[in-house]
Amino acid sequence: MSTSSESAIAVTGLRKSFGATKALDGLDLTVAKGEVHGFLGPNGSGKTTAIRVLLGLLRADGGEVRLLGGNPWRDADSLHARLAYVPGDVTLWPSITGGEVIDLLGRMRGGLNRRRRDELLDLFDLDPRKKARTYSKGNRQKVALVAALASDVELLLLDEPTSGLDPLMESVFQRCIHDVKSQGRTVLLSSHILAEIEALCDRVSIIRLGRTVESGTLGELRHLTRTSIAVETARPATGLESLSGVHDLVVDDHHARFDVDTAQLDIVVRELAPLGVRSMTSSPPTLEELFLRHYGDEEAGS
Amino acid sequence: MTGTLPLLRFLLRRERMSLPWWLLGVTLLVLVQSVQSQNLYGSPEALQKLRQTIGANNAVIAMSGPTGLLESIGGEVVFEIFAFASIVVALMSMFLIGRHTRADEESGRAELIRSARVGQHAPLAAALSLAGLADVAAGLLVFIVAAGTGLPIGGSVLFGAAIAAVGLVFASLTAAAAQVFENTRAVYGTVAMLLGAAFALRAAGDVGSGALSWASPLGWGQRTFPYSADRWWPVVLSLAFTTLLVATAVLLLARRDFGAGLVAPRPGRARASALLRNAYALVWRLQRGALVGWAAGLALLGVAYGSIGDSIEQYVRDNPEIAEFLPGGAADVLNAYLALTAGLSALLAAAYGVSSVLRIRAEESADRAEVVLATPTSRWTWLASQLSVSLTGTALTLIAFGLGEGLAYGMTVSDLGQVPRLIGVALVYLPAVWLIVSVTVLSVGWIPRPAAVVAWLVIAYCAVIALFADSFDLPDWSRRASPFVHTPNAPLDDVSAMPLIVLGVLAAAFAGAGYAGLRRRDIGY
Repeated sequence: MSTSSESAIAVTGLRKSFGATKALDGLDLTVAKGEVHGFLGPNGSGKTTAIRVLLGLLRADGGEVRLLGGNPWRDADSLHARLAYVPGDVTLWPSITGGEVIDLLGRMRGGLNRRRRDELLDLFDLDPRKKARTYSKGNRQKVALVAALASDVELLLLDEPTSGLDPLMESVFQRCIHDVKSQGRTVLLSSHILAEIEALCDRVSIIRLGRTVESGTLGELRHLTRTSIAVETARPATGLESLSGVHDLVVDDHHARFDVDTAQLDIVVRELAPLGVRSMTSSPPTLEELFLRHYGDEEAGS
Repeated sequence: MTGTLPLLRFLLRRERMSLPWWLLGVTLLVLVQSVQSQNLYGSPEALQKLRQTIGANNAVIAMSGPTGLLESIGGEVVFEIFAFASIVVALMSMFLIGRHTRADEESGRAELIRSARVGQHAPLAAALSLAGLADVAAGLLVFIVAAGTGLPIGGSVLFGAAIAAVGLVFASLTAAAAQVFENTRAVYGTVAMLLGAAFALRAAGDVGSGALSWASPLGWGQRTFPYSADRWWPVVLSLAFTTLLVATAVLLLARRDFGAGLVAPRPGRARASALLRNAYALVWRLQRGALVGWAAGLALLGVAYGSIGDSIEQYVRDNPEIAEFLPGGAADVLNAYLALTAGLSALLAAAYGVSSVLRIRAEESADRAEVVLATPTSRWTWLASQLSVSLTGTALTLIAFGLGEGLAYGMTVSDLGQVPRLIGVALVYLPAVWLIVSVTVLSVGWIPRPAAVVAWLVIAYCAVIALFADSFDLPDWSRRASPFVHTPNAPLDDVSAMPLIVLGVLAAAFAGAGYAGLRRRDIGY
C-alpha cells in the first residue's frame, strides 16, 4: 500500500449512507500521482458519491480518505486550489454565457491559461457567447471540461465527462487527456464507457454496490478474463466439454464456439490441434467482458 | 388541429394545482373590495364626499381609474379594483400561454408531443383554449361575487365580461410573442412590459383628457363604465383585437421552425468581465435582477402610499371606521398611517430577504453549488456571498420604499425633508427584517429540506400577527414571537436603540449558528 505522499488519492474502507441507503460500503481507491485512473461502475454504484466525498462536499461516515496529502473534509478550500472537477450532470446558471462560466471558474481556481482556453474552445467547437440556458447537455459538459482542462491544476476529477459528447468530441477529449497525462498531471476518470477507459487509463478500479471489486492495471485485470474462440475442425469437435476452464460451449458438428479462461488457453489449444483445425478466430479479452462478468454475476445473484 | 382536445384535457390536468389559486385571487380581490366599499361608501352622501376627495387627487386616479366610474357604488368598486384584478387575470393568461407554448418548446417537452399524432397548430390552439376557459371562468367568478354581494345584475355581467376581455387580450398577445422570441423569459419580459405600458397609458389618460386610456386594454375595460353607462362596445373592441392577435400568432407559427423564433437571441459575452471573478460577483450577478425588481416594486408602493398621505387625515375624519385599523387610533392619524405602511413594507422586505436566502437551497438542489464549492471557495465565503446580497438587498428595498413614500408625500406637502425622514423610518424595521433573514439561514443550515416551508411560515406568521393580532385578540405570547412587535412603531412611537440592538445581536447569532450547520452537513442533499 502506497503512502499518501506518493498517492494523489488514497481511500480505504470508505463508508457513506443516506438514511437507510448504503451508497458506499467499504470503498478502496488508490490513485498514484501522474496516472490516469479509470473508475468504473454502472449508474448508482457510488462513483459520484465517492467523488463528492473526495471533494469534501459529503462527510464520510467511516474509513480513511486522503486527497493530495490532505483531509478533503477539513482542508477542502486549500486542496481545491490544486484540482478541477467536472460533474457528471453539469448544470450552469441559465443567464450566464459559457465563456463567462469558464472564466469565472478559472479565476476561482486561481487563474486559467487564456491561450489554452481559446484552443480548447476551438477543439471542442463550443460557442462561448451563448447563454447557458440554450446549451445542450453535451455543450454544458464542454463548458465544464474547457474550464477544467484550461486550469493549471495537479488533479482532475472527471465524473463521466463524455456522457453527453458525440464520438468526434470524445476523440478530442481523449487527445486532451493524453496531453494532460504527458504533463504529469493526475486524472481520476469515472465512466461506464469501457472503450474510453481502455484507451486512456493506466489503472482501473471497478466499483459495484459501493465497494471496490477489482483494482489493477489493464494487464493484471486481463488475467482474470476469458478469451473467446470460434473454431472449425476437420473432425467433429468433441471432448471439449470435459476440459476445465471452458465456458459457454456451443458445438455444431464441425464448428465450436466457447470462452476459455486465459490461464487455461495453452491446454485448450493443445486439445484442439488433434481435431484438425481448419480455421480459428480468437478475440482478446476486453474490459467489456470483464465488466459484464462483474455485473452479470450481480444480476444472477440478485 | 388534430389532437387539440386531448391536449387541452392534458393541460387542464397540468394546471389543476395552480390555476385555482389565480382564480381564487381574483375572486377574493373583488369580494373584499365590494364588501368594503359598500360598508364605507354605501350612502349617496358618502359617495358624494368620496368624489370630491378623489376628484382632486391625481395620484389616486392614476392608481385606480377614471372618476366617471364614481357615479354609483358598483362603479366605485370597479374604480378601486378593476386595474388590479385585470393585472392578475392578465398575468394568469400570460403564464398559461407561455408555459404551454414557448416554455414547453424550449424544454423539449413539446417535441415529444408534436411527434405524436398532433397537428402543427394543436399545442397553440390547446393553450389558447385553456387561457380562454380560465379567463371566462374569472369573468364568471367576478360576476357571481359582484352580484352576490348585492350589486346590480346587469352591471355585474359587464364587469365580469370586461375583466375576461382583458385576460383574452393578454393571452393572445402572449401567444403572438411566443412565436417571436426563442426563450420564455423574453416572452414574459415583453408581455409584462406591455402590461406595464397599458397601465401607464391608462393612468396618464385618466389623469388627463382620457385619450391615452383608449390606447390601453385596461382603459377599454374601465371605460365600459359598468353600473352607470353600461357600454358593451369596448368589450367588442377587446375581442376584435384578440382575434387579430390570434390570427397574427397563427400566421407567425406557420412561418417559423419548431424551437426557433423570429428574433434570434442576442449573443452574450465571450469572456467574463474583469468584475466576474469570485463567488460574491457571481451571486450579485445572479440576484441583481430580482433585487432591482423588489426595490422598484417597493419604491412604487411607497409612492402609492405617500401620495395619499396628505389626504389621509381628511379621509379618516370623513371615515372614522378606518381609524380603527391604524395603530394609535385617530389621534396621530398621519404618523399612525406612516407606521402602518412602513410595517407592511418591512414584511415585504423580509419576504424578499427570505426568497434571496432560499436561493442557497435552489443552488444546492440544482447541483450548481457543487461547481462553486469544488473551487477554493470555502463554505463560509459561499454563504457570506449569498448573505451579502440578502442583507444589503433588504436594506436597499426598505430604503427604496422610504424614498418613494418620502418623495411622493414630500411633494404633496412641499417638504422634501420627508425623504430622509421616511428613509430613516423604514430603516428602523431593518433589524427585525434581518432577524427573519437569519432564521432562514438557520433553517437552511440545519434543516435544509423543510427550510423553504419553515421560512415562509415565519413570514406568514409575522403577517398574521401584524395584520390581525388586534382584530382577533390573539394572546400576548403569540405576538411576542414576531420580531416586528419588538420594533418601535416608527414614526408613531419614539425609537429606542435597545430593542433594535437586541434584534441585531439575535440575528447575528442565528446566522452564525446557521453557518455552523452548513459547515457540518452534506452539500446537495
